[in-house]
Amino acid sequence: MLLTLQSAVEDIKESPAAEVNKIARIAAHGSLMGARGNSGVILSQIFRGFGNAVQGKAELTPTDLADALAEAANAAYRAVIKPTEGTILTVAREAGRAAVAAASEPTATAVSVIKAAAAGARTAVDRTPSQLKILHEAGVVDAGGYGLQIMLDGMLRTIENSEVEVLDTPRTVPAAQAALELPEEGWGYCTEFLILGESVDVEKLREDIAALGNSVLVVGDPNLVKVHVHTDDPSKVINLASTYGRLDRLNVGDMSTQHRRIREESGGGAETAYPQRNNGIGLVAVVAGSGLADIMRSLGADAIVEGGQTMNPSTQDMLAAVQRVPYEDVILLPNNRNVVLAATQVNGLTSKRVPVLETVSVPQGVAALVSFHPDRDLDGNLAAMREAAERVQTIEVTHAVRDSRSNGLRVKKGDVIALINDKLQHAGKDYGTVVKQALDGIGADSYELVTIYRGLQATDSEVENLTKSIRVSFPDLEVELQPGGQEHYPFILSVE
Amino acid sequence: MARFRVVTDSTSGVPPAWRERFGITVVPLTVRFGEESFQDGVDLSDEEFFARLARTDSLPTTSAPSPGAFADAYRRLSAECDGAISIHISSTLSATPEAARLGAESVEGFPVHVVDSRSLTMCVGFLCRVAAEAPSLEEALRRVEERVPRLRVLALLDTLRYVEMGGRVSRAQAMIGTVLNLKPILALADGEIKGVDRVRTRAGAISRLVELLRRDWPLEYLGVMHAQAAADAERIRSLLAPELPDLEIEIGQTGAVLGTHVGPGSVGLTYVRAPEPGPRSETRP
Repeated sequence: MLLTLQSAVEDIKESPAAEVNKIARIAAHGSLMGARGNSGVILSQIFRGFGNAVQGKAELTPTDLADALAEAANAAYRAVIKPTEGTILTVAREAGRAAVAAASEPTATAVSVIKAAAAGARTAVDRTPSQLKILHEAGVVDAGGYGLQIMLDGMLRTIENSEVEVLDTPRTVPAAQAALELPEEGWGYCTEFLILGESVDVEKLREDIAALGNSVLVVGDPNLVKVHVHTDDPSKVINLASTYGRLDRLNVGDMSTQHRRIREESGGGAETAYPQRNNGIGLVAVVAGSGLADIMRSLGADAIVEGGQTMNPSTQDMLAAVQRVPYEDVILLPNNRNVVLAATQVNGLTSKRVPVLETVSVPQGVAALVSFHPDRDLDGNLAAMREAAERVQTIEVTHAVRDSRSNGLRVKKGDVIALINDKLQHAGKDYGTVVKQALDGIGADSYELVTIYRGLQATDSEVENLTKSIRVSFPDLEVELQPGGQEHYPFILSVE
Repeated sequence: MARFRVVTDSTSGVPPAWRERFGITVVPLTVRFGEESFQDGVDLSDEEFFARLARTDSLPTTSAPSPGAFADAYRRLSAECDGAISIHISSTLSATPEAARLGAESVEGFPVHVVDSRSLTMCVGFLCRVAAEAPSLEEALRRVEERVPRLRVLALLDTLRYVEMGGRVSRAQAMIGTVLNLKPILALADGEIKGVDRVRTRAGAISRLVELLRRDWPLEYLGVMHAQAAADAERIRSLLAPELPDLEIEIGQTGAVLGTHVGPGSVGLTYVRAPEPGPRSETRP
């Protein structure tokens, strides 16, 4: 849903349009092109309905706005073959109803209409567990509906000129995080694509697709149709669809695997569904922080052992992860100096071969994983990974826990300090200054890319200020910001 | 002695100078921005294409020439020579060779040998040159077919976005996860695209490209292709030139059709390996 919205937002940003009807049309197109997942596709239809309702209107009265919100919900209902209550659809409808009611007041304004829509959405989201058994059992609200509510809340805050802030977590967890029971027939494959055609009969296509699966969404116009379906046989769907036109952005996901992964992640150890590697080498990484774990996983780590600064995992924890990985050779990445020793013990405790690649920081671990290759043998990979880890420079930024004097540096408790490759090198009062000193210290001018892994303690404005100050001081450096989610270090920087 | 001509398509990366010098006929593919259609390289220059690509909010689409377009080209040639060899982008990537085949069948009394290069861009261009320099159609066909298994392309993409949307390479194939911004290095051999590496920085990627190329030495032909990355292409050439004194290293632009699928900022090494690669120890470090 976020990606769908982002796609719409990106398109709008690129356009100079200032008229409601034009922006709404761009939003409809952008969201349709970027639509992913059930809620994402429905969101694109909400934008489409809104766009159709405001056609020819450069500005909206409160009534126009309310009617468009109501029509947005109607369009979304029409797009779904079997509308289910307790989902984003219900939330959209209730938001629309509340908006129309508010617009009929004599004192109605745009703000009062949006306020009513957001309130209507909130009430509807709270009710979703009573409408959908699966939500009730998991003790969650509907994630898509909640997403729509957040968008309306965001609109309200923007139009009221109040600062948009990160919303409180909902009363219950959104459904996407929940570990639901797997239905016996499994979840099948989530199959999505666009059809680029000429005069596609959308109605007929929808009927055809509906015969092949459930959660069917077939939306668009005769030239561009977005299809989303959960099916046991994606190839049938693809063959059928390709008779209507050219397929684009085809994406097939095995939902049983996704589901299993969510369960396993919430249960602690996390295995991914990476394809079996030819070289028979598995990868286990030690890291703390949800963002860092995601990054390591997306680079191929088969299992993550939770741990790092001040929470070193035991040899037993690492051994358990190594045993879980379906390979006889397992490269273990400690990613912290204090973990290395415990990691080297694992090799003697299992029949598997467990070489430790002595990465002492997160940036080293990431660089090593990036250079892993599934066609290379163990020695070749170890050499390439070691070389990559050694090339990257690590800057860890945190606060001093006590007054101290070391390395010729006088540090007061609470000062911002920077460790370059594990050595305390710079101290000061604010992140920007200290990081600039650290970057100067390693000669950042001769590097290309700084990746900032944002820790839990860093606030939005601190992140923004730091990013800006690096861009100003080092205009030739590319700066990439990633959510790290680590504790203790508000920022970890990788320079390469 | 029978005279023959060489035909190719607009993805072949044949440098304009070669077209004239060797009398190579180029049949254009089509690039469509929304409602507007362009003939690749005919009414849409590379510069115009990338300027449009930057402005457009939806991606262009590409399509192979029609069999009819090929038939027309062959028919025109039949008036001036006795046969043609028609060399094209891999059939695993484009319907173009199939269209050429159908076009050739519809022209009677004029022999056309259609070659599926299992490769693309300047690799096809090199084959065109090899064919044009052959003394006869039969010899041209022999020389070209003998080289098809030795064609290689190594490409660095600035982003996987375009190739992924084009549906020809998946993130898994390119070994690109979804979180970090990684630059994929892809290889094409015998019609198959494979991810060979992934890198974080462009400078790192370029030295990696060169490293990978060295493994395939010695070479018969080498070209550096780019999409809006002329400086990098020049840099690669100047890196390689001292090590390959006997080779003329061509630089070329991808053109609109390939540009649609690889995206701006891409650089590629296109080369023909020498017939009998020397033993490992002879490759330089």
